[in-house]
Amino acid sequence: MLSLENVEVIYNDVILVLKGVSMQVPDGKIVSLLGANGAGKTTTLKAISGVLYTELGEVTDGRIEFEGRTIGRMDPEDIVRLGIVQVMEGRKLFEHLTVDENVKVGAYSRSDAAEIRRDIERIYQYFPALLELKGRISGYLSGGERQMVVMGRALMARPKLMLLDEPSIGLSPMLVKEIFQIIKEINLQEKTSIFLVEQNAMIALSLSEYGYVMENGRVVIDGPSDKLKENEDIKEFYLGLSELGKRKSYREVKHYKRRKRWLG
Amino acid sequence: MSTFLQFLILGLMEGGVYALVGVSIVLVYKATKTVSIAHGQLLAFGAFFFYLFFGYFGLPIIIALLLCFLAIGVMGFVIERLALRPMIGQPLFAAFLVTFAVFVVFDGVFLLILKGGILGVPKFLPRESLLVGGLRIPEGQAISFVLSMAVFGIIGLMFRYSKVGLGMRATAEDHQLAQSTGISVKKMFSVIWVVSSVVAAIAGISTAHVIDIYYSYPLLGIKGLIVALVGGLESLPGALLGGLILGILENISAGYLDPIVGGGVKEVAAYFMLLVILLVKPYGLFGLVRIERI
Repeated sequence: MLSLENVEVIYNDVILVLKGVSMQVPDGKIVSLLGANGAGKTTTLKAISGVLYTELGEVTDGRIEFEGRTIGRMDPEDIVRLGIVQVMEGRKLFEHLTVDENVKVGAYSRSDAAEIRRDIERIYQYFPALLELKGRISGYLSGGERQMVVMGRALMARPKLMLLDEPSIGLSPMLVKEIFQIIKEINLQEKTSIFLVEQNAMIALSLSEYGYVMENGRVVIDGPSDKLKENEDIKEFYLGLSELGKRKSYREVKHYKRRKRWLG
Repeated sequence: MSTFLQFLILGLMEGGVYALVGVSIVLVYKATKTVSIAHGQLLAFGAFFFYLFFGYFGLPIIIALLLCFLAIGVMGFVIERLALRPMIGQPLFAAFLVTFAVFVVFDGVFLLILKGGILGVPKFLPRESLLVGGLRIPEGQAISFVLSMAVFGIIGLMFRYSKVGLGMRATAEDHQLAQSTGISVKKMFSVIWVVSSVVAAIAGISTAHVIDIYYSYPLLGIKGLIVALVGGLESLPGALLGGLILGILENISAGYLDPIVGGGVKEVAAYFMLLVILLVKPYGLFGLVRIERI
C-alpha cells in the first residue's frame, strides 16, 4: 500500500535527516516506527504527508509510493485526498475553533454532505466523551480530550492510511490504554491502515504486526512485532528490560554488525 | 447637543467606510499574517474601475458594479499570485515590504491615470439629505453605510457558517496543520485576497459618492491600517469598532476644533487616536488573547 524506497530528506539544503529509509505499510495493517528523539521518525511521517516543505525540508532522493502512485512531489492537500492523513505530534488543534468545528474541518477534502453528517455521528460514537464538549473552544481541552479530537478530525477524511505521531506522549497509563484500544478499533472497523510512531515501544509493538526501529536517520532493525519484542537490543534500549545505564545506544555496540548489514 | 449628534451621525457614516478598509486588511492579516499596505491602492482602483464602467462607459449601475468587482478581484488575485506567493515561508517583514512595493508601483499607475486631475463619478446615490428632528442625515451616505454593515454581516456569516469560512479560520490558526487536514492553503490565500480586494473596492466606491477621485485616495488605506491596528489586527468586530470610532472622533474633533485652529484637525485626530489606544492596549482593542493552558 505505502512504500518508501531509499528516501533521503534534507532540511534547509544542508542538514541530512533521513539517509535512505525504506519501509512498507501493507493494506489494513498496523505498523509501528520506533526510535529515540531525533531519529527521524516525525520527518519520515512528514515526508509521506507532504508537509515537509513548510519547514524547508525536501525529499531529495528515493521514492514514496501509495497504491502504486508516486506521491513524493504532491501537495499535502492532494495527498489527503488520496487517503493519507497525518495526525501530527503534540495533538495540535485549531485552538480557537470549537470541538465540533475541529472535527468538521477534517472533512474539508470531501464534498458529500450527507455522508459527512453521518460520519460526524460516528466520530462521537468512537469518542462519546467529546459529545458534551462539542461547543467548547478546543484550546481549553485536556490532553486526553485533545487526542480524541485530533483522531476524530483525521477520521473525518476517511483515510485509507493514518499516520499517527506519538499519540501516547504525556498521557496517563489509563488513557494510553484507552487511546490504543480505539486505534485498534479504527483499524479493524474502518479497515484503516495505521503507521504508528511511538516512544512507548511496548504498547506499540503489542498493537502492531510489524515494526521498524530508526536511529540517526536510518532504519537499524525491522521485523514482525513479536520478534522485535524478543530482540535483546530492543528489550534493552526501548523496553528497559536489562541492566540500566550500561549501554546507551544500538550504535555503540552493534557497529560491526550493522555495517555488515548495510554492506552485505 | 444637536451639533454634537450631527457630528456623531456624520462620523458614524464616514466610520463605516473606514471600517470596511480596516476589515479588508484584517482579512488578509488573519489568513496570511501579512500586514498589507497595498489595500489602499485596491480601494483607489476600485473607485476608478467603478468610474470607468459607470461614468465613462455609462453601463447600468448593477453591471458596472459587477464588472468593477470582477476587475478588482482579478487585480487582487494577480497581486497575491505574483508578489506575495513567492513570499510564503519568508520572513513576514519581507512580505510587508512587498505590499509596500505594490503600493508604490500602483501609486505611480494611479497618478498616470489621473494625470493630475480629478475624476468625478456621476451621481449614483441620492445627494439629498433627510431632516430628522433637526438633524441632517445625508441619504446617499446613509445608504452606503447600511450596505457596508450588510457586507460586514455577510463576511461574518461566511466566516462562521460556510465551509470556506471554516477553512479560512483554520488556515488563520496554523498553516501546516491546515494543510495536513486537506485544506489548500495557497488556494485560501487567493480566495482571501480576492474577497478583501472586493471589500476594499466597496469602500472606494462609497468614498467616490462623497469625494471625487483624486491623488490621495490610496492614503485611505493607511487609515484602514490604523483601524485594523486599533481593532487588534485579527478581529473583524475590532475593525468595525475601530472604524466607527475613528470616523466619529474625526468628525467631532474637526467639528469643534477646526473653527478654533483653522482646519486640519481631522487628519491629526486619527493618528493621535492610534497612539493613545496603542499606548493603553498594545495589542489593540480586540487583539487575540492567546489560549495558554497552565
